[in-house]
Amino acid sequence: MTQTAHDPYFIDFPARIRRIQDNMAQHGIDIYLGSRLRTLSWTLDAFCPWRSFVVIPSDGLPTAFTFVIDASRVGDDSWLDPDHVLGYAPMGGQDQISAISDLILSHLKGGKGVVGIESGMAPYLPEGNLTHYEYECFQAAMPEAKLVNAHDLVDELSLIKEPGEIMRVREASRQVDIGHQAVREAIQNGGYHGMTETEIGGLAAYAMRKAGSEWEWSFTGGNEIASGYRTGLAGGACTPASRRQLQPGEPFMVDLHAMFRLCLGDHSHNYLLAPATPRQRWHAQNFVELVQLTLKTYKPGMTPSSLADELLAFCEEQNFIEYMVPGFEHGIGMMGDEWRIGMNDGPFPYWTNPDHVYQPNEMLICAMQYACPEENIGFRYENPILITESGCEEMSKYPLGIEEV
Amino acid sequence: MTEYIYLSPEWAAEAHRRLQAELTPEKMKFVTSSMVTYYKNCPDGKDRALFYRFVDGVCSELAITIGEPPEAEFRITGDYETFAKISKAELGSRAALMGGKLKLQGNMVKALSLSAVVDRMNKVLATIPATY
Repeated sequence: MTQTAHDPYFIDFPARIRRIQDNMAQHGIDIYLGSRLRTLSWTLDAFCPWRSFVVIPSDGLPTAFTFVIDASRVGDDSWLDPDHVLGYAPMGGQDQISAISDLILSHLKGGKGVVGIESGMAPYLPEGNLTHYEYECFQAAMPEAKLVNAHDLVDELSLIKEPGEIMRVREASRQVDIGHQAVREAIQNGGYHGMTETEIGGLAAYAMRKAGSEWEWSFTGGNEIASGYRTGLAGGACTPASRRQLQPGEPFMVDLHAMFRLCLGDHSHNYLLAPATPRQRWHAQNFVELVQLTLKTYKPGMTPSSLADELLAFCEEQNFIEYMVPGFEHGIGMMGDEWRIGMNDGPFPYWTNPDHVYQPNEMLICAMQYACPEENIGFRYENPILITESGCEEMSKYPLGIEEV
Repeated sequence: MTEYIYLSPEWAAEAHRRLQAELTPEKMKFVTSSMVTYYKNCPDGKDRALFYRFVDGVCSELAITIGEPPEAEFRITGDYETFAKISKAELGSRAALMGGKLKLQGNMVKALSLSAVVDRMNKVLATIPATY
């Protein structure tokens, strides 16, 4: 996709590549083989749903490889020219191992050098680390090369968001707000009677698509919709919409996802379908107050653990700590970057470091889950936030509250 | 009918003549590209390369070299026996590629768009009476 400097969503991808190359030089990496979805989005500006790779030499343009059936489309979406977006296929010389190792070897004198790869683990299925089998095949195809894990080079650079990236998240969040508005209009005045969770997910998707959203991107089931007991499943931060019909007297949770130029909108809003009981309202008030406090608490210098300590103390004081899932955020960035926050430097490898110190222009999803399974009630709040100099900016502007409809 | 020794200079001259005569620029989709077919283990023990260059759909150059192949946009490498079987219609070129008997180097996406053109070329070359 052609970008212009006047485009409010402009991201300087060639500059990103040069920064990776500078990092490679500092770390003695001769060539970088990226395979994670987050790296592909961040370097190519194209959605790569098939197994894909990006080869970044020490200077010059990178080359992307994807399944040949999608290579033309990826090339069309990407800022790279068609000669730098190649397809692989099960043919002699064109399978992914041969095609990629041939290119890498053409950059390594005598086939010797250091190849940075992306290895690790993730609870997130589409992370895209190099598999053990791929590693063995690449090593066999490049026996004189040394393969070293180097994903930190990209993670370090993608941590602080650029203005164009922030603008893209703002737009994706605006689209999510339109989805919420469409849901609100559909369910009000008894409109929810006879509607199913899947139907709610679909009408929200239609509204967001009309507003320009590319995809209800979440791998957790697109738009996540939960009603009744499903809102209160213990730890339940993943509720793909089911065929369950919405019922009066139940809680109802709507977690919408939009994507704009690979940047992600993600906002959850909650309802009580009338008539609501005083006890349901008590739960709702607990949750809203906690979200308000959380949004006031995020600022540079905070860490996930200091934030959790402060907020859980509030939950304890208000006597609802047993209903809170003790986590308040997950990562966010371009497609594929949606769970771990910060670098891989915590006590548990490849999980968020609880002592990660937030800095201005980091983004994360403020994410909270309240669940009371014994009363079949729960709520979820998610909203991309930008850490600012003095606090945080909420990207979704949909009014906070648990509405009774 | 004259019979040519496959990959001999005479065979190459005849191949060039037939490609120019039988394939119009329209049939060749006005393609501008170059391709090498690299024959490993020829009957005399040597490796040979057959180089084609097309400019605006016209075969402007066809040459056979011995040893390392010249640079081209696409290179297809395989054993002489494999290519000979393809020329004698005993083996399909797609099957040879899919089975890994031939190795293609070059932009696969462009190669796919040129596969019909290459098929037409191969059909013309297969009409040359040849001994292997």
